[in-house]
Amino acid sequence: MRKGYMKFVFLLPAVVWVLIFTIYPLIDSLRLSFFTYRLGMGVGEFVGFQNFIDLFKSPDYWNAFRVMLIYVCVAVPVEMALGLGFAWVFARELKGKAVFRTIFTSPLFTTGVAVGYLGVTMFHETGGPINYFLSFFGTQVPWLSTGFWATVAILLLDIWRWTPFAFIILLAAIQSVPEEMYEAASLDTASEFQIFRYITFPSILPAFTIALLLRLIEAFKQFGLVFSLTEGGPGRTTEIYCVLNYRTSIKYFDFGHGSAMAFLLLLIVMIVVVQFFGRMRKIYE
Amino acid sequence: MSWKKVVGLIVAFSLLGLTCVSAYEMTPERKAWLATNPYKGVTVRILTLKATVSQPLFILGRKWEKETGGKVEVVEVPLAAFHQKIFTDLITGMGEYDAFLTASWYYGDYFSAVEPYIIPIEKFMKDPRFPQWDPDTVLPAIKKLLTWGGKWYGIPNDNDGQVLYYREDILTNPEYRKRFKAEFGYDLPVPPKTTDQFLDIAKFFNGWDWDKDGKVDYGLSMHLKVGEQAMFHYASWAACYVISPDNPYFWFNPENMEPLINSEGHLKAMEDMVEMVNYGPRAMLAWTLGEGWDLFLKGDAIFCFTWGDLGALAQDPKESRVKGKVGATPMPGRYEVYNPIKKVWKKYDKVIQVGNTTGGSWHPVISRYSKHPEATYDYCAFMAVKENAFWNFTRGWTGVDPGRTFAFLPPYGTASIEDYVEQGWDPHDVKPYTDAYYIDFTNPLQILYLRIPGGEEYWRALDFALGKAASGELSPEEALDECYKDFVRITNRLGKERQLKLFRESVGYKG
Repeated sequence: MRKGYMKFVFLLPAVVWVLIFTIYPLIDSLRLSFFTYRLGMGVGEFVGFQNFIDLFKSPDYWNAFRVMLIYVCVAVPVEMALGLGFAWVFARELKGKAVFRTIFTSPLFTTGVAVGYLGVTMFHETGGPINYFLSFFGTQVPWLSTGFWATVAILLLDIWRWTPFAFIILLAAIQSVPEEMYEAASLDTASEFQIFRYITFPSILPAFTIALLLRLIEAFKQFGLVFSLTEGGPGRTTEIYCVLNYRTSIKYFDFGHGSAMAFLLLLIVMIVVVQFFGRMRKIYE
Repeated sequence: MSWKKVVGLIVAFSLLGLTCVSAYEMTPERKAWLATNPYKGVTVRILTLKATVSQPLFILGRKWEKETGGKVEVVEVPLAAFHQKIFTDLITGMGEYDAFLTASWYYGDYFSAVEPYIIPIEKFMKDPRFPQWDPDTVLPAIKKLLTWGGKWYGIPNDNDGQVLYYREDILTNPEYRKRFKAEFGYDLPVPPKTTDQFLDIAKFFNGWDWDKDGKVDYGLSMHLKVGEQAMFHYASWAACYVISPDNPYFWFNPENMEPLINSEGHLKAMEDMVEMVNYGPRAMLAWTLGEGWDLFLKGDAIFCFTWGDLGALAQDPKESRVKGKVGATPMPGRYEVYNPIKKVWKKYDKVIQVGNTTGGSWHPVISRYSKHPEATYDYCAFMAVKENAFWNFTRGWTGVDPGRTFAFLPPYGTASIEDYVEQGWDPHDVKPYTDAYYIDFTNPLQILYLRIPGGEEYWRALDFALGKAASGELSPEEALDECYKDFVRITNRLGKERQLKLFRESVGYKG
């Protein structure tokens, strides 16, 4: 009986921590989404679903949603594809592999804000190294002064930062595929592509799925890189969902609409995750 | 960087600190007060924006510490996070900071609670134990930004307003003047007095090498990055399109709080601003403030309309190639002005120029949670004494711009050209600079500063509108219509009746 009692004692700090710093803020935030809030006056009147309706009517909300979708639908597949490609290459015996691997994975240890500020220098239109290099080819790109190219700059930086994440996970997965399977396949004179398609990829699918899911969830929360690089500009062309959410809640102290926006994002991510797991379950069944 | 350079820099900054004026006129009560080592064991914490304007807090802070025995801790935060850092501290009641080097547009938010978040300073101003600064040296337009409801809350520091800087040497070049006349049909005015003249000149000088340095030069330089105060350019520029002797209102109709921001006059101003973007590098859309100044300081732009920092930075040989070549003048005006209340255009016999105090006018205010309000006021007032203030005004890298009477030349003030030359200025540049600011601040026609609750949000909405119009994301009309809707939404969320009352108080509307 004492042993049973002791395990709860050891669990208690973690439970209290989660209750105070996760569950309580979650519930209170949901509560706030049904109220108005004004700086200096605190929580105001109950407005039901009005905050959510205001968001659905707001062109800025849909703009931020659109920017988020573009980012998620472009950056994540490219990162996964590149990560898989590099993992496939690095899984072989190559000279200097360890050194290249270390250099290649280093962006993963940076923060989004640092990468964003690095991008301010790299993509500087009149003094940056990228445009300087492009000038030898007689061209200059308006990186941060047009919406399209600012979006491309964000995607390039993000891909540079997060491809190593997919690479590390998939490299480990590829290296754990039993050698006997490759030997058997080579005996059947299967081509490289056939080996990849029928042996390697199915074997690493669980790891691929997890990497994709983790990356998707993170991508929906993109903030630091965008805020430090463009602050959502020029205009509002790169104002991604979390940047708008930050502005609404933290800059303008409009916690009513901000909480509503946060919960809508939670809902979107939950739907994606549930759908994802549902499909994966079907594949494995 | 070699160790010799590092040592050299340390010595230079130390000497720089020593060149700060430490001797100022002290009352006998002040001397007696200092003799008691009054702030021993006290640390004054001041939150400031991470920019040039925070530098004097460090340098003068060290001098204040030596004088009083107190300690100063300066905490810097980027502009993008500054407003929320202040108000998170205030609304949670954490009271981590004794003072904030605030922007003037935050004032409405300080007074949004039942009990204001900042304390009035009049009792300290009258107390001879503290460093004395004369409130009468603060020009009325600036005084409005430091007071609320007739009471003083802010201690004078930075005095922001935008004037037009120009390359006088290039505009007076005989060959260019001849070519300008041939193209536009009138003599090149130096300086331009109207917005049309400004646009013609900027267009004429854009895209060719007029200073013969082998590089393409531009008509103007201006920063337009979202979140970096670019919206003040629009306010300074557009003021003369809607403000006139017949109408002082720019933001809202004081009868009913209807936003005026998408009136025909505002629209014409935005259209002209969008045209203006073509007369500088496209990259301006992503520039921060310093980058906007840099092109002008490097000698590659004819015009730049901005704050007082530029005139002072132009004197720094490390930063500037235009020392001795810079003219300054109040913002151009117009003959034809739109009345957004009556919804009519009107032509005047003379050019209508409008003054402005656009910008942050960054100055300290004392938190109601401060546990050391006396020490805090003492430190802030120390920076506001004449000697320290003048030292700040004459150095561009301090970010503190002139606006007190002792910064201006006669007949407007008590400074002399020699005072500025002693601080490293070229004598040619002093008078136009100081006169431009004095005329700007004392112009009876002013764009009234928007500082009601939600100020940060209203200004940001205008910032987005400018960014969208300038980048082509939306047409000027669409951008201002969106801004109008944002203003309505913000007003309704914060309470229309309350906003109307406060707006009327802020503009002195009595019905």
